[in-house]
Amino acid sequence: MNQTTTAATSPITGLKRLLNGPWTPAAIMVLAFVAASMAFFAINGREPVGLFFEMVRGGFGDGYSFSETLVKTSPILLTALAIALPARLGLISVGAEGQLYLGALFGTGTVLLAFDQPGWLLMPLMLAGAMVGGAVWGIVPALLKTRLGVNETISTLLLNYVGILMVSFVVHGPWKNPNSLGWPSTVEFPEGAILPTFFDTRVHMGLVFGIVAAMILHVLVTRSRWGLGLQVSRSNPRVGATAGISYEKNVLLVMAIGGLLAGLAGIAEASVIQNRLQDGLATGYGLTGFLVAWLSGQHFLRIIPLSILMGGLMASADSLQLYAQLPKASADILQAVLFIIVLAVGGLWRRRTMA
Amino acid sequence: MHIELYNVSKRFGDITANDGVSLDIREGEVVALLGENGAGKSTLMKMLFGLYPPDDGAILVDGKETSIHSPQKAMSLGIGMVFQQFSLIPALSVLDNLLLAYPRAPFWTFRHLFETSAARSGQILDYLHELAPGLAPHTLVRDLSVGQRQLLELIKVLNLNARVLILDEPTSVLPPQEAERLWGMIRKLAEGGRSVVLITHKMEDVMACADRVVVMRNGKLINTLERDDCTEVSLVQMMMGERVDRAPVTTPPHDSVTRQPAKVLIRDLAASQGLQSIRGINLELRPGEILGIAGVSGNGQHLLADALVGLARLSAGDVIIDGVTLQSASRSPASSGQVSYIPEQPAVNAVAADLSLTVNVALSHFRNLSFFPHWAPEKATTESILENYEVRPPNPDLKAGQLSGGNLQKLVVGRELKDEKDLIVAAYPTMGLDAGAAHDIYQALFRKAAEGAAILWISEDLDDLMEYAHRIAVIRGGEIAGIFDPREADRYDIGRAMTSQQSDETPPTPDTNVETRTGVSG
Repeated sequence: MNQTTTAATSPITGLKRLLNGPWTPAAIMVLAFVAASMAFFAINGREPVGLFFEMVRGGFGDGYSFSETLVKTSPILLTALAIALPARLGLISVGAEGQLYLGALFGTGTVLLAFDQPGWLLMPLMLAGAMVGGAVWGIVPALLKTRLGVNETISTLLLNYVGILMVSFVVHGPWKNPNSLGWPSTVEFPEGAILPTFFDTRVHMGLVFGIVAAMILHVLVTRSRWGLGLQVSRSNPRVGATAGISYEKNVLLVMAIGGLLAGLAGIAEASVIQNRLQDGLATGYGLTGFLVAWLSGQHFLRIIPLSILMGGLMASADSLQLYAQLPKASADILQAVLFIIVLAVGGLWRRRTMA
Repeated sequence: MHIELYNVSKRFGDITANDGVSLDIREGEVVALLGENGAGKSTLMKMLFGLYPPDDGAILVDGKETSIHSPQKAMSLGIGMVFQQFSLIPALSVLDNLLLAYPRAPFWTFRHLFETSAARSGQILDYLHELAPGLAPHTLVRDLSVGQRQLLELIKVLNLNARVLILDEPTSVLPPQEAERLWGMIRKLAEGGRSVVLITHKMEDVMACADRVVVMRNGKLINTLERDDCTEVSLVQMMMGERVDRAPVTTPPHDSVTRQPAKVLIRDLAASQGLQSIRGINLELRPGEILGIAGVSGNGQHLLADALVGLARLSAGDVIIDGVTLQSASRSPASSGQVSYIPEQPAVNAVAADLSLTVNVALSHFRNLSFFPHWAPEKATTESILENYEVRPPNPDLKAGQLSGGNLQKLVVGRELKDEKDLIVAAYPTMGLDAGAAHDIYQALFRKAAEGAAILWISEDLDDLMEYAHRIAVIRGGEIAGIFDPREADRYDIGRAMTSQQSDETPPTPDTNVETRTGVSG
């Protein structure tokens, strides 16, 4: 990232060398994003440069804003992993949002069932429930694909709505807290079902899960025989089958693991952030995770900083509201702008280097 | 039309495909462009056909320097090319396929009106009537034999008023009768004033129909000779350069093989996939036996191979090796470590193109890799394969997709033969390879037979089958149409078994001499 400034100040010869360096596309992306977001502010009649720095400060300015950034980071990170792992097998899943909701649903269900159990039992049960829920929402499209040849992108997209509406159904219906005065939500989680947080902030265990999972997946996918099998199946399933690699089994496995991780993100949101299951649990995290997964090029370690960056962008939406009276949706717009810039610059760069 | 290539060079990255080649093609003559795989024959002709621009040198058409920047330009000059891969649409009729390639077919008018008028006026069908008088224009292309399809490709090019025809390895897919017919046709076209360039690595092609032979090696033109001035031996020497001393290919003697009890049993095998199906396949292979499967491409060979190695579901029957059931209709197909598979078109069917050569070699023993594989020994194995099989370039870190077809073929063969196996299924293992490389591959393959493996060898090259196989089973329409002993059988009998119309899969098309001689089933 700091390549931006170096590139701008280097003498001509150094510049030429840098232009062909590996960081050049990243630098161009950052510059383009800075320019585009400033242009966006200017179009809205705000002072562009000052507001841009205000936005950066809103995400990373002080301890509190950074902690809020990390709070947003964990679901983005987990859902990004849920997208990136299937992508390593060539599957384009967009189902992290639904898996997140299912994780919250199953996790909450477990909490409600084991409500009076002590924390040492309730917490693992809740997490296990959430993982099962998310995994189920990954396995369903996986089975549809391997058994019936249903396109996984379409099935995961549609299952997102089903998952969100199922949560809506239980919080309006069977699981509704009778004392919540019409507010559709479950009862508050007991103490033992609240994930631990760090340093008096809202930053919770979900972040640790995400980072650890990213590292494990990175090692497995890049170094292990299993990861090699994914690469081979993605490249040529027929050759994989000849070598004894079952594409079908791997489809089930990556979708289940992905769903499990997204499910953890869901229960963490319900447990720590909301203390209950309610409507609009985590709108948009799944799709942001999708963006991050594809921005990273399905690289698990790159997903971590990108999730923090994206988390910062989301967290700073509040400061945009506060300082510039820009609508909260501005953060979504800037997110989309970033995504398009990265894809376009990446595409142009590839074409340039191939020519 | 007289074409001269003057000092033409072409490089791809570090590789020089053509190095200052000068060649002329005169009206009414057949030029055979002879060379090993990768000698630069196809590249040279693709430049003439406008697919690549030359880096250096000039192309002169009737004495005038001409830039041929696209195939369209080449065709407008009267240069046409028939590729190894056909570009016909199987679901459409002969006439439709001709119309699609017909330059004066207007796309906006009522197609059927045009079709009938064009067919009535005959212009589009002239060559069809002339070259294949019996072939009905409304026959679907998928019902045609390979030879007929090739003929159709040729007619497509002739319809473009081509005066110079380039044929890329035209006989590599043909059974002997059809190859002979093609040679006749090439002579006829030349007598009619056209020029024909025949890209080939087969001596028979040269001897049967060339006027002049141009030998290429390593991108350079080695020699140009009149046909009458050359002998097969001298041509082979020129083609291969230094490497002429090769140990002969040896196969296990017939008698020792036939005394053994059967090792591999294929019983009542049936399967279907898409439009292909096989049924009632009963074969036995003894240890060390080389069982050749002859047949015209598309008669179920591909499915048979897939069924044996566990890539296709069986609808009936089973495959048994040493008394243990390997594949069976009652269970899911699964690949096995006991079986090697050299599939056709290795670039598509045998490698992961975007992974390294090392990884692709390791795939053959994927099951035995440790959970975190050690790559150093795998790399060493790959390097030794690259060296033994002369794969170019010999860099184990390259991606498989960066190798040419022939080199990939050698890599896959090397990979599949490196371990001890019970059964080796090899489909066209030498396809597209020059004589030298083919020789090496046969040597390696049949050495495995001597070590006790059973080899099921699918091929279209009847000469090779006759020379090396212990028995030859002919497959036609998904069934075994006969099993021959190559020591006694006549190649024309086998050819007839390959093309006879007993089966409903090859409907009557009484236009070729092959078909007029048929009626006898193997």
